[in-house]
Amino acid sequence: MTLPLLPTTIVGSYAMPGWLERLKTDYFARRISRHDLEEIYDSAVKAAVKDQETAGLDMVTDGEVRRDNTVDYFIERLPGVQIDRSSKKFYYDFYDSSVQGKIPMASLGLVQDYQFLRMFTERESKFCITGPHCLTKRIRNSYYPNEEALATDIARVMNMELKALVKAGARYIQIDEPYYSGFPEDIHWAVKVLNILVDEVDANIVVHICYGNRYGKPSWEGSYRYLFPAIMNAKVKGLTLEFARRGGEDLDLFKEFDTKFILGVGVIDVKTHEVETPEMVAEHIRRALKVLPPERIFTLPDCGCFHLPRDVAFAKLQALVQGTRIVRKELGK
Amino acid sequence: MIVKLNHLNGKSAGARAQVVVDTIYSLLEEGRLEHEQFARLQIELDWIQYKQNFREVVIASQGYTPRGEHLPVLDVLVDTRQVEPTTLRADMLKALARAGGPDRSQDAGDPDHVMLEEFRSLRHSIVWEFNKLYWGRLNLWQAATGKGYEEALPGGQSDGHQPESIADSVCDFWTLLRDLESQNQLPAEIFILELGVGTGTRCGIWLDKFLALDRIRETNYYPRLRVLLGDYSLATLDLSRPAVREHADLCSFMVLDAMNPLKTLSFLRHKILQVHSTNVYDNLPDEEVVRRDGRLYFVQVRSYIPRAEAERIAVVFGVKVEKLRASMHRILQGGFEDFGSVQQGVAFWQEIWKAIRLEERLVLLEDLPDFPFPEGLDASKLDDILQDAPADIRFHLSSGALESFMNTMPLLHPRGYLQVQDIFVTDISQYRLGFYGPGKLEGSLLNWVNGALLKGVAERAGYDVHFVPFRYRKGSKTSVLYTTRRE
Repeated sequence: MTLPLLPTTIVGSYAMPGWLERLKTDYFARRISRHDLEEIYDSAVKAAVKDQETAGLDMVTDGEVRRDNTVDYFIERLPGVQIDRSSKKFYYDFYDSSVQGKIPMASLGLVQDYQFLRMFTERESKFCITGPHCLTKRIRNSYYPNEEALATDIARVMNMELKALVKAGARYIQIDEPYYSGFPEDIHWAVKVLNILVDEVDANIVVHICYGNRYGKPSWEGSYRYLFPAIMNAKVKGLTLEFARRGGEDLDLFKEFDTKFILGVGVIDVKTHEVETPEMVAEHIRRALKVLPPERIFTLPDCGCFHLPRDVAFAKLQALVQGTRIVRKELGK
Repeated sequence: MIVKLNHLNGKSAGARAQVVVDTIYSLLEEGRLEHEQFARLQIELDWIQYKQNFREVVIASQGYTPRGEHLPVLDVLVDTRQVEPTTLRADMLKALARAGGPDRSQDAGDPDHVMLEEFRSLRHSIVWEFNKLYWGRLNLWQAATGKGYEEALPGGQSDGHQPESIADSVCDFWTLLRDLESQNQLPAEIFILELGVGTGTRCGIWLDKFLALDRIRETNYYPRLRVLLGDYSLATLDLSRPAVREHADLCSFMVLDAMNPLKTLSFLRHKILQVHSTNVYDNLPDEEVVRRDGRLYFVQVRSYIPRAEAERIAVVFGVKVEKLRASMHRILQGGFEDFGSVQQGVAFWQEIWKAIRLEERLVLLEDLPDFPFPEGLDASKLDDILQDAPADIRFHLSSGALESFMNTMPLLHPRGYLQVQDIFVTDISQYRLGFYGPGKLEGSLLNWVNGALLKGVAERAGYDVHFVPFRYRKGSKTSVLYTTRRE
């Protein structure tokens, strides 16, 4: 599959339907079985993929509808992490979790999610995982001497998983690290851990770094300047950053620092229900083209569409696709 | 029959409750009440703390389907503060007849009532037009009564002005700024919003104290403050200006809808570090819901003036009774001069407002997903929140307050917080212990806020809501709501 110039995609999650939220709660309240829930998830994934295709995206994900939040889906699969399953009041809450010993090497079982996605789309696909820095911030560490040591072991386990995903056919992988912006002081060790995670993984890997999207709200404010120059040591192909909500000022960092990264430019604000016009999207892309050539840009929303109503998310993705087409046309493509 | 004895005041409480029960039994024995009605009857005995309110001694609320079909649900509400044993029987009979007893259709209307509107949600009742008029023409009302509205408050002044409370608020905010600065995250402009400005006194004191603290600690935050004073009444905003005169350079006055500040301030989305309001939520349009036998009923109201009162007012102001409704609408549109003079028009307004009562009926919420719940609340969320609530309960939806909350939170900076001083029902079971409005306070309308429901909605929107009793004035019924981000 060849991607067009300025490929379009989503960050990872698609809109979580209200009915699915209620069914997740029903599962926690033991009103439906795990088997029924899995069937419901399968149907929801197919619907999410279909919506992305219909909107016209070049690269789709499974919509992450199986995941309760950014963290728990991975934490409950990580060997050696203890979870208090009574700690959630709502499905979207984070589990209380801890490590009290060394994390053993074992599979996380993510490959079947990827294979399911591949069964239901002909488009290029992307598989997204939450990175070790973010996971480390949500696990109470009662064993390792520091956060970096815990994150390093998580990265080793997940590295094995990424290799399994590549073996299963995954060509595009995204690592979500939303907590970088909340803990800028960690950036040096976080990049070291990132490089352990992606070591010898033969895929197009990008890192998504935003300012948080918990409950559809930003968790932090600031500038991406903290990433530089440390992030330039990351052995990944690209970054995806949010620019629609925050404005394009930080794009100039890519003029100031000579990186080789491709850049996923956030051109859709996922923290408002107002739907962008294609022209607004095009304007964001034109701004990015002032600092990077089109071959190094792809377009996507600022962050996951998890908190948006489905109709709003769909309309925003349509605007994303149409706005990108306007610019492709301007570029003669 | 279920009799609920809510908070009853005074030594005569037991005797008055007994009179009500005796009266009901005698009506049953005389065949004035059907056995089926009696079996399903629910009687609530309240002590209405608001001397000015919308209730008769007895009101009865009949249940209906949305298509107007009679349902065998009947609630009788008795205000024991007003009960007179000698007239209770007659009052009870009238109320039952009005509610749509066996020989009356639901919309027949009572010849003893001069109707001002048809049945509708309280939120859409004309009483809120009066509330709006009061805040819009506060100067006229105050000139007529010779006292400011704060003098009508239970403590004679607003809890919002309590200096110690304001000093604590200033310290909390300064600490937040210091913390943000230490993390290199303090914005160049520090936005705060006062939602509902009152006399402006609180904001003036707050800024005085902030300036003083900032000078003592030499942090130089004060010049970076951007203070937004928002109110839906231009008249109120104008009245508040003198109180913040010393800080005029920092202040912007904005007419905005307290239920949707985001509409006016969307350019400040995620930028405001503190939003404060005092006694705003209790004055926002509201409605009530009844849960009975596992089903939800919506309380619809119809405002009226008792005919005897209407005739008296008509004589005083030289208006025919049948023209009262039209005259009332002229007043609501600000036509005070139509009564000969502004003073005469204001006097008419005050008399009408004092006389207004509400009839009510219960309408089954059949198709919950289609019911227009306020933003942030839908049928399934309401069901979840009510899961642990008592089975039979009547409560405020606090829809105006919920809307305001949901349309304010997006304005907050990731580290910002909302602080609301108001009268809250913090546990839904409190609704079984007493009456929480609506009442009248001068020309305005007052409802306690369903804090328990608001907390449930907030949790699902990513905020933990905490209530702290207002500790700065003994006997205060105020609580302070503040938010923290939910992780």
